Amino acid sequence: MMTDWPQVEVTDVERFRALAAGVPGATVTERVFPAAPERVKELLTDLDVFAEIQADLVSVTLLQRDGDRIVVLAKGARGQRARLAGQFRPGWCWLQSRFLIIGMAVAAEPGGGTRVALTGGIRVPGRAAIVPLRVRRESAKTLDRLERLLSS
Amino acid sequence: MIQEHLVRAAQRGDTVAMNELLDALAPYVGKICGPIALSDGADAAQEALIAIFRGLRGLENPAALFGWARAIAVREAIRVARRRQRNLPADLSELPAPDDPQLAVHVQDVLERLSPEHRAVLVLRDVEGMDEQETAAVLNVPAGTAKSRLHRARASFRKAWR
Repeated sequence: MMTDWPQVEVTDVERFRALAAGVPGATVTERVFPAAPERVKELLTDLDVFAEIQADLVSVTLLQRDGDRIVVLAKGARGQRARLAGQFRPGWCWLQSRFLIIGMAVAAEPGGGTRVALTGGIRVPGRAAIVPLRVRRESAKTLDRLERLLSS
Repeated sequence: MIQEHLVRAAQRGDTVAMNELLDALAPYVGKICGPIALSDGADAAQEALIAIFRGLRGLENPAALFGWARAIAVREAIRVARRRQRNLPADLSELPAPDDPQLAVHVQDVLERLSPEHRAVLVLRDVEGMDEQETAAVLNVPAGTAKSRLHRARASFRKAWR
């Protein structure tokens, strides 16, 4: 029997596009940064940095952790709160609350640099769908903030 | 193994459950797409996963998740491979046994000489362990066609080491 079949490893960004494809309204915004993947992952694994770059968030507090499964309390600039649950590990974030979805993925870019993909926004309550308002603009702002942090 | 309640939760709109399914499905889809789409395997796997998550809500039997995903992965791998026009016609002769030691050498080289459809039959039979009827059903072809494709694919392996 053949044993050395060609193997395919799907990157986190490729996986992320697929997951977002199952969420109507989820627009994926991507940007390539001239930084090492390890540095980008390390930065984004810090919940304070995570809160700093996300549009409309002022803080993210860890409530529970079980391996890479977490529950956090996110507070917004206008006093809103969200209890987000999901997966959070270096290079990958997928969190949801009843009213919010936040997703990020990181992958090494062939030829150098790091690709970061984002999606998220206001969730249609209880459904796998995002209200398609300001999603692309807010994602662009988040990537701008990340770019500034990476260059500082 | 994925539990049915997770599939049902994902179908109801729980995106964290969808993420759990992704963790389970991505390596499996990669295992199918790699030998069929070869250098385009990652593209094929991404396309397959996109089709899977777009269509997940329509899956009637959650217990059939992997079989359903397998059929999509095979279809997308063949489509991507054909799109890139990298397939060459197989040169065909006789049938080696599945445990023939010659089959264990330089699989990639020989796979590149086969069409995507022939590679799909090999994957379903030798990686997935499916019989002719099951293979034919996944590929949506008559059983005789699946059998002849397998014969031709294995024959090309035999010929490669003559």
